[in-house]
Amino acid sequence: MPQATSPSQDVTIGILGTQNRSLSAKRNWTYPASQPIALQGAFAEHQVMLQKLSLKKRVVIVLIRQPEDLDKCDALIIPGGESTTIALLARLAGLLEPIREFLKTKPVWGTCAGAILLAQWVENAKKGGQELLGGISVTVERNGFGSQVESFEAPLEVEGLRESNRPFHGIFIRAPVVVNLKPSPTDPPIQIISRISASLLPASQTVIPPDEDDTDPRDPRTIVALRQGLHLLTTFHPELTKDDRFHEYFVRECVLPTLGSRSSSPA
Amino acid sequence: MTTPIQAQTPVSTPPVPHGVGNPAGTPVVAPTRTKDKDGGASGGLGTFGVKSGLAQMLKGGVIMDVVNPEQARIAEEAGACAVMALERVPADIRAEGGVARMSDPSMIKQIVDAVTIPVMAKVRIGHFVEAQILQAIGIDYIDESEVLTPADEEHHINKHAFKVPFVCGARNLGEALRRISEGAAFIRTKGEAGTGNVVEAVRHQRSVMSEIRKASVMSEEELYTYAKEIQAPFHLLKETARLKRLPVVNFAAGGIATPADAALMMQLGCDGVFVGSGIFHSENPAKRARAIVQAVTHFNNPKILAEISEDLGPAMVGLTIDDNLKGGRLAGRGW
Repeated sequence: MPQATSPSQDVTIGILGTQNRSLSAKRNWTYPASQPIALQGAFAEHQVMLQKLSLKKRVVIVLIRQPEDLDKCDALIIPGGESTTIALLARLAGLLEPIREFLKTKPVWGTCAGAILLAQWVENAKKGGQELLGGISVTVERNGFGSQVESFEAPLEVEGLRESNRPFHGIFIRAPVVVNLKPSPTDPPIQIISRISASLLPASQTVIPPDEDDTDPRDPRTIVALRQGLHLLTTFHPELTKDDRFHEYFVRECVLPTLGSRSSSPA
Repeated sequence: MTTPIQAQTPVSTPPVPHGVGNPAGTPVVAPTRTKDKDGGASGGLGTFGVKSGLAQMLKGGVIMDVVNPEQARIAEEAGACAVMALERVPADIRAEGGVARMSDPSMIKQIVDAVTIPVMAKVRIGHFVEAQILQAIGIDYIDESEVLTPADEEHHINKHAFKVPFVCGARNLGEALRRISEGAAFIRTKGEAGTGNVVEAVRHQRSVMSEIRKASVMSEEELYTYAKEIQAPFHLLKETARLKRLPVVNFAAGGIATPADAALMMQLGCDGVFVGSGIFHSENPAKRARAIVQAVTHFNNPKILAEISEDLGPAMVGLTIDDNLKGGRLAGRGW
């Protein structure tokens, strides 16, 4: 528990979303706490997971509605939803460029649709192309597993997770597939933290030979969670489980290290 | 969740509709697996978790009725989070009459090919073979809908038996919970489709919310009686009372024609909206569609609502809902 309430004791995490009912506790009775709305998608679930974490620092959650909201944040989560809808609403709210700036210095985690937005390149985009934020040097294929009928759940082994011997329950809903990794020499290296078994890949796809830049000989399409620099990408939905280990991982591995340099030097 | 006696005011209500993930025990929303349906090699296909999970991803979004690939593209560009593929929008079904059935699969497939967002399609109430056909062509969501002519006047489809998730209409809490117990992973309040008149949608949404509020302060004994009264499965009613919301995502539908209508439904507590005839029966569909998408995001910001409501052109012509309503009341279908 934090003894003093100096700002450096807090870690502020933004979740991309313009509207929020659940934080206005007064109205909970009329409008149940259960319905905060993001730009679009499932951000309330992220909020609940973060609030459950027990950390030395207090986690403050901010819902990002406009560019100014980003200034307060130490990190950002882009939730699941429809990537085309989220990108459109982000553009209309003037958030695209501010988030691209944010990505240069601060950690961002994208789940599912958020992962698509974080990718540098996308396949199977909507006709006429779609806007991405970029930030992680990978190509993803939207709906890579197929339609909703192919959505599935599977246990995952995740490197670096707390109690990592216990598998993490991955929920894949019209999930994107990582098709290749293309870090340029100046980019931070990509670290793969979880894969699914190749047998879960859609049968229709033939195995693509791994990219030359990929030091791991295995099929890149089995990758379901990876990190590059400060950023984290998961093609599944940790927020739909009741397991907070992935949220703890993001805060511990991606967010707290960036704070260390900030808060320790003046103190 | 183990305080049976007192209906205390719960501390913080988890926003996660139940049945997702769910390691804490209690397979509350029927956990039927259908993995062997198509001899699926991987066990986790079509679980209730992924079915209701997709609905979660649609929250805060607008699902639009479209009848051809061009309209589907307009909807996608406007920011729809999914489209509903059908041959005639409800307003036309009303005007033309006759038996309304599942759409031609080839037309649905064209729409699937045209867009990257999820595609839904409607089947008649109780017509499980239409549902099997839609599952076979890989549709993302099935709407077992009162807008089409019912095929069975006693039974709804056993939705647990499918890998593809279902959305169903409801006018009140009892009806919603009956549908969930049959396997619906997503509920929409019915409203009165094809009228451009939001009054029934408001009535149904208010009725669901008020019954949830009533249930949430009841003792367990009272809940048993209430379950009997509204003809809802007790375990689902109890879970609803605990969560203070439906255990699955709940959209509004039936009669939404303007951005203000959409925001109204959001403020009444739903998670998103379906817009049927309201978009492509208006003068400027692309603009109206985008305005409704923004209205659902900014539903409690009247300033933004005012901005986006400007210059949309005429909305669809609305119908008053009385005994002379052409095509009759659709909401009464479903049991």
